[in-house]
Amino acid sequence: MTAVRDTWIPPVDKPAFREGVRAMMPMSLAITVWGVVTGVAMANQGMSVPIGLLMTFTVFAGSAQLAVLPLLAVRAPLPVVWATALVVNLRFVIFAASSRRSFVDLTLRQRILAGYLNGDLGFALFSQRFADDPDRGSPVQWGYFYGGALVNWVVWQAASVAGIVLGGFAPEEWGLELAAYLALTAVLVPMCVKFPAIAGVAVAIVVSVVTVDLPMRLGLLVAVVAGVTVAMLAEHLHGRHARRRESTI
Amino acid sequence: MGLHHWPYMLAAIAGLTIVTVATRASFFMLPAQVQLPARVERALRYAPACALAAIVAPGVLTRDHDIAIGWGNDQMWALIIAAAVYAKTRNMIVMMTVGMGVFTFLRLVV
Repeated sequence: MTAVRDTWIPPVDKPAFREGVRAMMPMSLAITVWGVVTGVAMANQGMSVPIGLLMTFTVFAGSAQLAVLPLLAVRAPLPVVWATALVVNLRFVIFAASSRRSFVDLTLRQRILAGYLNGDLGFALFSQRFADDPDRGSPVQWGYFYGGALVNWVVWQAASVAGIVLGGFAPEEWGLELAAYLALTAVLVPMCVKFPAIAGVAVAIVVSVVTVDLPMRLGLLVAVVAGVTVAMLAEHLHGRHARRRESTI
Repeated sequence: MGLHHWPYMLAAIAGLTIVTVATRASFFMLPAQVQLPARVERALRYAPACALAAIVAPGVLTRDHDIAIGWGNDQMWALIIAAAVYAKTRNMIVMMTVGMGVFTFLRLVV
């Protein structure tokens, strides 16, 4: 057992592990809501319990799971399904880039498990706690990370399993698909803080609605390309405008 | 229906698992010389927001491939109000309660 643990998890400092557990605990209620919503959405769309359980335990990415549900329901081509999840998950690439120094020297298996666990909340707590820590990976950092990750994983999976099992019983007119869209909106809203992001999102909304008839749900990816292009353009123009204002002062 | 087609779902889930790990562990796997250019990082920041918007918008603003923006769209109003509440409070539980509450009210009462 110890050997298996050491293969997948680097040495952890026990007090730091407990600190990580305590830091994640207050998030439990929000994680539960998210997990139940995701599980219910999967069951409500008609996913069977075994497939739902397999998905929650392996994929472990609520927003990506909710995002691909409508695609899976119409049996969209797999490359479109995967590309959609990939785009929704691109924020994790930034997380990985900014916390890499704590994990990059671990063994391959340890890095794979750390990556699997490095979701939104875990990353947020970890990067707050160690923002000024010069260590390039230490048992204290790993302990904190895995303590938080354990709580996040257990609470999420328990809630998600409950949702998968119960969701099939909820009548359609309750509109539980709306709960899934609300959950995705909760991820989206904090991303819309600056003008370029708002412009990009507005364009993505319009394009995605206008292209809803495109085959294979390709409208989604068209909307993303259009939105990102406009956001980058808006940022470029905004930056030039700001620089010009500075130079006139 | 794709959800009942076992081979399709197993292949989909296998790929989705790889996508999770590949993105979350991406930079743990790359040598230290490989840095994320600032421009690319900003594009990566915008893409998920646009993708989420492009998933939610057609789900709420269209019905059977037709645009359904109007007073009768209960889901749309519930989502707009819930999003405004979340922008103010940043409280997921309040936002969910308000969103589903407004939707149920509009559906049953109005």
